[in-house]
Amino acid sequence: MNRALTVAVLVVVCALLGVGLGAELLSPPAWMLAVQDTNDPLGRLIWQWRVPRVITAFCVGASLGVAGVVFQGLFRNPLAEPYLLGSAAGASVGAAIALLVPLAMPAWFSLSLLAFAGSWGATWVVVAMARLTGVKSGTSLILAGVAVAALLSAVRSLLMLVLSDDTVNVQSVISWTLGGIQTPYWSELAGVVIPLTLLGFLACLTLARGLDFLGLGDEVAESMGLAVESFIRRGVLIAAAVTALAVVWGGLIGFIGLVVPHIVRWWVGARHGSLMIYSALGGGCALMVFDGLSRSLLPPSEIPLGLLTVMVGVPFFLLVLVRESRR
Amino acid sequence: MPRVQVSGVAYRLLCTVTTVLTLAVALPNALASPVASTTLVRDALGREVAIPDSPQRIVSLFASNTELLAALKLEPRIVGIEDFTRYPPGIRDGRVIVGGRLGFSAEAIARVRPDLVVLTPARGAASTLIRPLSLIGIPVIVLMHSNVEQIFTNLRLLGRAASVDGHAERVVSDLRARLNVVQARVGTLSPVRVYVETGENDRGALQTLREGTYTADAVRLAGGRNVFAGLNTITQVSAEAVIRADPQVIFVARNNSFDPASIGRRPGWQAVSAVREGRVYAIPRALLLIPGPRVVEGVEKMAALLYPLTVYGAVKGAP
Repeated sequence: MNRALTVAVLVVVCALLGVGLGAELLSPPAWMLAVQDTNDPLGRLIWQWRVPRVITAFCVGASLGVAGVVFQGLFRNPLAEPYLLGSAAGASVGAAIALLVPLAMPAWFSLSLLAFAGSWGATWVVVAMARLTGVKSGTSLILAGVAVAALLSAVRSLLMLVLSDDTVNVQSVISWTLGGIQTPYWSELAGVVIPLTLLGFLACLTLARGLDFLGLGDEVAESMGLAVESFIRRGVLIAAAVTALAVVWGGLIGFIGLVVPHIVRWWVGARHGSLMIYSALGGGCALMVFDGLSRSLLPPSEIPLGLLTVMVGVPFFLLVLVRESRR
Repeated sequence: MPRVQVSGVAYRLLCTVTTVLTLAVALPNALASPVASTTLVRDALGREVAIPDSPQRIVSLFASNTELLAALKLEPRIVGIEDFTRYPPGIRDGRVIVGGRLGFSAEAIARVRPDLVVLTPARGAASTLIRPLSLIGIPVIVLMHSNVEQIFTNLRLLGRAASVDGHAERVVSDLRARLNVVQARVGTLSPVRVYVETGENDRGALQTLREGTYTADAVRLAGGRNVFAGLNTITQVSAEAVIRADPQVIFVARNNSFDPASIGRRPGWQAVSAVREGRVYAIPRALLLIPGPRVVEGVEKMAALLYPLTVYGAVKGAP
């Protein structure tokens, strides 16, 4: 219970930081004044733009955190996460197609569908490539992921060059690839982002027990009644869907799915149920703060969110790599 | 016991969150106040934008839009600009910088309480600003400029938006008259083959103009024929390609630190007509690469340099 309280406080503090950090840092009283004054454009912007953005950042971070847990558990690989596995790159290619090619579907639907298809497809290509090498080590999976991600980013750049119309679409794709929260309207937030995040999270929770078994090795897991192959298929499907959701609303944000589950694992242990819950909350917290920093570090410009998380994430990635190699 | 306490905290938290959410959903409706009197304009993206009559607090993104507004004598109404605006002199004094190289902040713009924002779809301005600003009721006009004529269209559009139509009309007809003077002098002459260099990367690839831009149009209006008129998307050319195209005149629109004379010292360039005849000229970037009213001055300058015997001394601004 103590732990739950700590996390609750952390969520509240990070959320407050998120709504407080902006291009201009207001003192709390001035901030309160701004949000209460309906004639203040900044106050309106905070209600209509910053608050939905902070909530979306939480949802995206939570999705990335929990997707990281699932990928790490499924592949028993501490370096697996949406960004390094190529899942996020796949989703971004899907999203780029949806944005740049006129399709006979509502935009939000084609965006979600193609991002999911891209994420799922890319993950399977990576898994297949890693299996083809026949090496049961983590490196082949990550190498395959890096290769596929490189290929996909080339495809995405080519799409942008070929389909560019010099105006808005290409710029949104670029901002996507650098990572940045796509702020929804309140209606989209309440109707799409929050419900889908919850749904994805619950779907991941159903995998928790299976992932615990899988952690004991394929044979033990089989003997405990887990159909390993079909379980992995289901897990990849769910994690790809959660990744796609994160990419649609947050673009390419690296390393949250890697760093957060690791820190949480040190803290709460390796049981996947609590690992998922705390990674989701931790990922959400981290992204709310990072998004706030992206707004306020170099005002009035915004640093693309994905660049910030990668800058913090890569040193951590190296740390994990060194620890693993010494094991 | 602690369990009960925590659920109490959770309950209170839930209540607070629900209240905040309800407020946030209900608030926008309460905020939608009727606007007294507005002008409707259609911008370059085809959006219908309602602007309050005679806006007094304008945020102008990009040097070009600021120069257009200044030409309409609306400079005193500009309250915010971006970080690369340098003209007219004094434009940076006391004005809020709302963005720069990395993009723009809707929050910084909202902070200066503008009643009109003018921007161009570059550096993500359109994709990151239109939605949040429209959401809080700040009108945004998007301008584009693929030829010199569109600069005039933009002046008229801004004139309408700021309720200074008559003045905009006069500014446009003055600029047009100056272009007509150039046209009268050089229009019948055979065009001069021109290569315009705007930059260079560290591996020696040279940067030139792209067709379908106001800059290429300005060169044409000055009586030049771009030797790379076929380039529609990629604007990098090799030194070899320039030598083969053999331009009669080379215009250099690069940083001030670049010495145009150095072009004559490049290996192999001594064979180029422009170099042989000493017709390599520097053109200030601001006159050629900012789609504002000063492009007309750029046209005059280039015409005078392309046809020194015909135009020399007759056009204002000639050397």
